[in-house]
Amino acid sequence: MPILRPLPCALAALFAAQLAASPACADDLVLQRVLVEGSRLSQLGIADSANAGSVGQKELAARTTYRPGEMLEAMPGLIVSQHSGEGKANQFYLRGFNLDHGTDLATWVDGMPVNQRSHAHGQGWTDVNFLIPELVGRLDYRKGPYSARDADFASAGNAEISYANRLTKDIASVTLGQDGFTRAMLAGSPELLGGTLLYALESLENEGPWTRPDDYRKRNGMLRYSRGYANNGWSVTAMAYRGKWNATDQIPLRAVADGTLGRFDAIDDTDGGNARRYSLSGIWRQTGMESASKLSAYVIRNQLDLYSNFTYFMNDPVNGDQFAQPDRRVTSGADATHTWHLHRSDTMASDLTVGARLQNDNIFNGLYDTRARQKIATTREDHIVETSGGMFIESATRWNEALRTVLGIRADRYRFDVASDLAANSGRANDTQVSPSFSLILAPFASTEFYLNYGHGFHSNDARGTVAAFDPKTLEALERAPGLVRSRGMELGLRTEAIPKMQTAVSLYRLDFDSELTYIGDAGMTEAGDASRRVGIEFSNYWRPLKWLSVDFDAAFARARSNNGDRIPGAVEGVGQLALTFDKLGPWSGALRMRYFGPRPLIEDNSVRSQASTTLNGRVGYKINKGLQLELEAFNLTNRRDSAIDYYYASQLAGELSPRDDIHFHPIEPRSLRVTLTKTW
Amino acid sequence: MNMKHLATLAALTLALLSAPASAHLFHVGITDISFNARTGNTEIVHTYMAHDVEALLANLYGRQFDLTDPEDQDVLRKYVEGRFWVTGQAAGQDKSRLNLRWVGMTADAERVTVFQEIEQTPLWKAGAIHDNVLVDFLPSQVNTVNLNEGNAVRTLTFDRNNQEQPAR
Repeated sequence: MPILRPLPCALAALFAAQLAASPACADDLVLQRVLVEGSRLSQLGIADSANAGSVGQKELAARTTYRPGEMLEAMPGLIVSQHSGEGKANQFYLRGFNLDHGTDLATWVDGMPVNQRSHAHGQGWTDVNFLIPELVGRLDYRKGPYSARDADFASAGNAEISYANRLTKDIASVTLGQDGFTRAMLAGSPELLGGTLLYALESLENEGPWTRPDDYRKRNGMLRYSRGYANNGWSVTAMAYRGKWNATDQIPLRAVADGTLGRFDAIDDTDGGNARRYSLSGIWRQTGMESASKLSAYVIRNQLDLYSNFTYFMNDPVNGDQFAQPDRRVTSGADATHTWHLHRSDTMASDLTVGARLQNDNIFNGLYDTRARQKIATTREDHIVETSGGMFIESATRWNEALRTVLGIRADRYRFDVASDLAANSGRANDTQVSPSFSLILAPFASTEFYLNYGHGFHSNDARGTVAAFDPKTLEALERAPGLVRSRGMELGLRTEAIPKMQTAVSLYRLDFDSELTYIGDAGMTEAGDASRRVGIEFSNYWRPLKWLSVDFDAAFARARSNNGDRIPGAVEGVGQLALTFDKLGPWSGALRMRYFGPRPLIEDNSVRSQASTTLNGRVGYKINKGLQLELEAFNLTNRRDSAIDYYYASQLAGELSPRDDIHFHPIEPRSLRVTLTKTW
Repeated sequence: MNMKHLATLAALTLALLSAPASAHLFHVGITDISFNARTGNTEIVHTYMAHDVEALLANLYGRQFDLTDPEDQDVLRKYVEGRFWVTGQAAGQDKSRLNLRWVGMTADAERVTVFQEIEQTPLWKAGAIHDNVLVDFLPSQVNTVNLNEGNAVRTLTFDRNNQEQPAR
C-alpha cells in the first residue's frame, strides 16, 4: 500500500475529538469491531439486557441448517425441532418452555408477524418455511418481557429477521442431497427507476428418510422494490410461498420396541398438509438528527390444510383418529414508531419513543374427523375476527458513561369475535392489559456491563377459548379463558468483553405466567392451563482467537414448575451448543456444530422423561474461484438414533384392545449429506 | 504542512468542537489530492469516519461488513467509485472522467482510508471534481477536498448543495 503523503496530525486530532466528544445517537450504529475485525456485533452500549443480541448474515450463512427454521437457533438457548412433515411449523423450545409451534416466541420477518393467533392447530403457530436464508441480513433477538415494544407471544423471546433491500452480488445456487433433497434458488437486485428491485425464487423438494417419503414440495418467491437507504427510504414487498407434504407424525415407542414399526415408519400414511402464504408489505423509515420514524404495514393471506393422527385408533377403532385442522386467514396490520433524540449534555442523552400497533385477523378454521383426508364428521367450525391495538411509550436515557435506564409502558386491547357452528360457543370478548417494563444498565468498566431487567408481558389465548361454553367433542362445560395472560419477568445479567476477542454474557432470570398454555395431544390444540414459574440461567460465549477461527458456546438451564409444584410436560431444562467455525483459510471455510437438547419431563409427576438428544452437524466450503463456491453439508454426523421430540400420552394401535399410555417420538434424521454449488456475480 | 492548510483544518476543528452541546455526531470526510512527481501519478487519499462507513453499508445492504475482507472492500469500492470522480480540464475540451485507479484501502476502528490514483496525469489536468460520498446518505455530511499543488493548497468543500466543483 503506497503511503502517498502523511495525513496531517490535525486530521487525526479532528477524528479523535469527534469520536470522543460525540454521544451515540439511537439511529447511529455504535462503532463495531465487526467493521475491522469481522467480529460478532458487540452489544455493549446497545443492548438493554444480557440476553439480547444480533447475528449477522455471514454468521447465519456459516451455520448448517437442515430446515429454514433452524436459522433461529442462532438465538442462544433456542431449539427448533420438527415432529411431523417438513412443511409443518417447527416445534420450538426456549427458556424452560415447550413453545409448541411458537407460542411465547414472537417471530417477525421484515415487520410482519409470523405467529398466527387463534390458529386451528396451535396458538401462535409459527411457520417460517417461507424464509429464504440468502436474503436474511440479520437476526435480532431478545428474551424475556422487558421491552415495551414487544407485545403478544414475546414473553420467552422475540426474534426479528430482516431481509436485505439489495444484495452485493446476484446469487444462483443448486443443492443436491441424500433422501431426495433438491433445492434451486436464484436471487438478484438490479437497479430500476432510481431504486432497487430485489427478487428471489426458490424451489425445494425433500423426501426425507421416512418409509413414506415426505415428498415436501416448496415453491417460494419474493419481489421487493426499494428506494433510498434502510434508515431513510421505503420498500414494498410481495412474497408467495406454497408447500405440500406428507407427514410421518410421532409414533409409539412400544411399536418400535416390539418390532411392529420401524423408526421411520408412519402409522397413518395419509397424514400431511399443504400451506400457502402470500403477503404484501411496506416499510417507510425516516431518520434525522433529531428524530427517527418508522411505519410498516402488511396484508398476509395464510392458508393451511393439516391432517394429523396422534392417537391412531383410540377414539375411532374403525376409521382411525385422523383429524383435519384447516385454517384460512387474512392478517392485516400496521406498526408505527417515532423516536425523539434528546441530547441534554455532553454525556447525557435520551431517546423518547412512542409506538402504535394495529392488527386484525379474519380467520376461518375448523376441526374435523377425517379418514384418509376425507371429512367424516365436523367437530367445530369457527369464524373468528380478532382485532388488537397497542400503544407504548419508552424512554431510554444514557445518564452518563456508566449508567443507562430504559423505562417503558405499553397498553394492549384485544377484541375476540367468534361465530361458531355451535351457538353456545359463539360470542364476543375483550381484554386489556397494561405492561410496564424497566431496565437498568450499569457500565462501571469500559468492557463490562451489568443489567437489571423487570417487565410484564403477555400472550393472547385462542379466541375460541375466550367465549367457549362447551367442549364440542365431549360437550362438557368449559370455563371461559381470559383473553390475555400476564407474564412477569425479572433478570440479572452480565455482559463482558474484558477478555480480548471474547464476548461473554450470563443471565439469571425468573418468569411467572398467570396461565400456561398446555398442548392437548388428542385434540391437537392448546388450552389455557395453570400458572407457572420458571427460573433459569443462561451462558453465552463467543471467542474469536484468530481472524479465521471462532468458537461459540452457549448453555442454558431452566427449572419450570406449575404453581402446584407439578412439572410442565415438554418444558426444556438443559440445552447447549458448541461450534467451531473457520473462514478464509485460503479457499476453505467450514463449521462443526454440536447441539445438545436436554431431557424433558413428559408428564406432570416427572415419572416419564425424554432422553437427551445430541447432534453434530458440519459443513466444508471450497471457493473454486471468486464467484463460484462448492459446499458440503453433513447432518447428524455421528448418526445418533435420538428423538427430535417426545410426548407421553395414550394411544391405541390397530389390533390393540385398549388405549395405552406411552412415549411417542419422532426420530432425528440419520446422517445425510448435501452438496451445494453457488454462483455469485 | 503549510499555514493555509493548517488554518483550514484548525477552522474546521474549531467549528466542530465549538458546536453546541446539543449537537449530534458530525459527519466529515477529507480527501487529499496531490501530484507525485516521482511516479508521475496524481494520488488521492480519502479519509472517512469508520462509523459513517459502517452505517452506510449496513443501511444499503442490511448486514454488517468486514472491511478487511476483499469481497466486502469491493462493495465500498463500488460505492465510492460511483460518487467520487474527476473530470478532465474543460480547456482541453475533454470533460470525460479521468480514469481513477483503485489502489486499495485500510480500515481501523476510527477511520477508513481509501487510496486512488490517476496514472500518468498531473493534477492540473483535472477540470472538475464530483464528490457526494456519504452525502447521499448523511444530510449533514461535509467532504473537504485539499488540492496540493506545489506549496499551495486549495480547499474545496462538498455537501448536499455542492456536489461538483471546478478544480481550478
